[in-house]
Amino acid sequence: MTNMQDQQSRNSFFRAGRQTVALSLIILLGLAGVVGLSRWMEAHRPPVDPNLEEEQLYVTGATTRRLSLSFSGLVADWYWMRSLQYVGRKLVRVEDNENLQGQKIELTENEFFNLKMLPALLDATTTLDPQFMVAYEYGAVMLPLIKKDDEAIALLKKGMAANPTSWKLAHHLGYIYWQRGDYRAASETYDAGAKLPDAPPWLAALSARMLAQGGSRQLAREMYGRIYDQSDDNQVKEMAVRHIMQIDADDERDTIRRILSEYSAHHAGRCATSWKDVYAGLRASRLKLDAATSAPLDPSETPYRLVKDGCDVDLDLQSQVPRK
Amino acid sequence: MSEDVLIASAGPLEGTMKNDSLPRQLARIATIARNAFREAVRDRVLYNLVLFVLLLTTGAIFLGELSASQETKIIVDLGLSAMLVFGAFIAIFVGVGLVYKEIERRTVYAIFAKPVGRGEFLIGKYLGLCLTLLVNVAVMGAGVSLALLYVRGGWDPLILSIWPAVLLIYIELMVLTAVALLFSSFSSPALSALLAFFTFIIGHFSADLKTFAASTGTQSAKWFFAALFYLLPNFSNYSFITPAAHGQTPTASAICAALLYAVVYVTILLSAATLIFNRRNFK
Repeated sequence: MTNMQDQQSRNSFFRAGRQTVALSLIILLGLAGVVGLSRWMEAHRPPVDPNLEEEQLYVTGATTRRLSLSFSGLVADWYWMRSLQYVGRKLVRVEDNENLQGQKIELTENEFFNLKMLPALLDATTTLDPQFMVAYEYGAVMLPLIKKDDEAIALLKKGMAANPTSWKLAHHLGYIYWQRGDYRAASETYDAGAKLPDAPPWLAALSARMLAQGGSRQLAREMYGRIYDQSDDNQVKEMAVRHIMQIDADDERDTIRRILSEYSAHHAGRCATSWKDVYAGLRASRLKLDAATSAPLDPSETPYRLVKDGCDVDLDLQSQVPRK
Repeated sequence: MSEDVLIASAGPLEGTMKNDSLPRQLARIATIARNAFREAVRDRVLYNLVLFVLLLTTGAIFLGELSASQETKIIVDLGLSAMLVFGAFIAIFVGVGLVYKEIERRTVYAIFAKPVGRGEFLIGKYLGLCLTLLVNVAVMGAGVSLALLYVRGGWDPLILSIWPAVLLIYIELMVLTAVALLFSSFSSPALSALLAFFTFIIGHFSADLKTFAASTGTQSAKWFFAALFYLLPNFSNYSFITPAAHGQTPTASAICAALLYAVVYVTILLSAATLIFNRRNFK
């Protein structure tokens, strides 16, 4: 009797064990199948219609804010990340485009990037969270780049209405006016910003200088330097660095052009055949030179190239300095 | 019919309790609250904290990459929003079961066989769930502070400045628990949960109700929306998550007013719940 009971319990133990193993196997195989199927479906998914991605937002920021209950901040974060990914996705798509390999394409080239939804996304972000300063700052820098100055101005004015004591928004609005060449409006905006609490003294100084030297490179360098110092956003800092590099490169090219024209004047109108011909002048001007070729280096450490039979200078195609 | 049922159906032992002293009543309420808290812990209600910690940890690690240096703001938004959502689910789903479970398991008969008033029973249950929510909210608040500490790599003023917003969330959950308890005093758990959920949603639309009341043409509609505005709990009084993510704190007077509003509202809700519960027949 006991033996029979032992046998039965042993049998049921093994049966339960077999069942566990079988079920575990089914789960594992099922999971493997799901992974495989997902990969297959991902690989065979038809490409997304780019027009669908560019569809306007169905719901306005104000309605979304109303619908978001207490979670408007969280929804604003989601819109913010969506704005960044919208730009990022377009950048990746252009980088991955085989037809554009080797070409340097700036965000300003709308035929490639076409960031037309960005103003609406940033507007929704800031409507949901009117104190989302980084979103205003991002809009102030990005929207003028894609020729959406009016939207950028509207965004910043909305921000200033919601945050009347924020001098940083006045600084950004002044920057947009300055970029447009509207130095009077820029000066007035900086002046208004300078009167706000905690505004730094350089804001009032910029207001005064804006009218006198609005278009000067020196002022531009200072503007981008201030933007770099004030920003917490790496993309904005990167943009400021690129602009400063561009201004430095413009200054350097002016110096090199002067040296090339002096050389030409001393050699009966003949232009330099290589950088070695103007080596002395370049060194005297304290330009950074390539050790092997004596070519002057641009701010991204890429050698400049001689163009127009040695009569002029230009950035190399590999240079990281923006052209426009 | 059992003795328990007979006693229970007769309502609270009014004769026994009429001359009861306040400290003894409070002691009974405290016992019920303690038991309600223990029951919630036994029911693994606090397991939601594990999910919350996972959410915050994942957020803290990955959001920095996605948000362009806005991870502190997003962690506060995410943490406090999750705190409200998890808390609202607990308040609604545990709240509607507080009384129903006792009736379903017939333990209510045993309780009312003792000198325990129905009002004391409801208040005790309510306070027990509030205690559960307090633990939940406090641990979650500490979790958000720790996540901020990790993300900032040290001290950040936000670590402290989020706490008034956490307090407001807790007060909101206290009101919501009372709403759930009121509904559960006269209807089924499913319907109570639905009604409490709707109240939570409408409570956040209070500002719109007021606008509706002001903008509608007919006088009756004006009265209707105005009545809804004043009758339903105004949860927008407790919405401070978004400003908290920017380091702002509500003024002391705003917190006191919100607390007073909650006390008044909870008193009304619990009184109504007791009134209805007193009339229930447990035969």
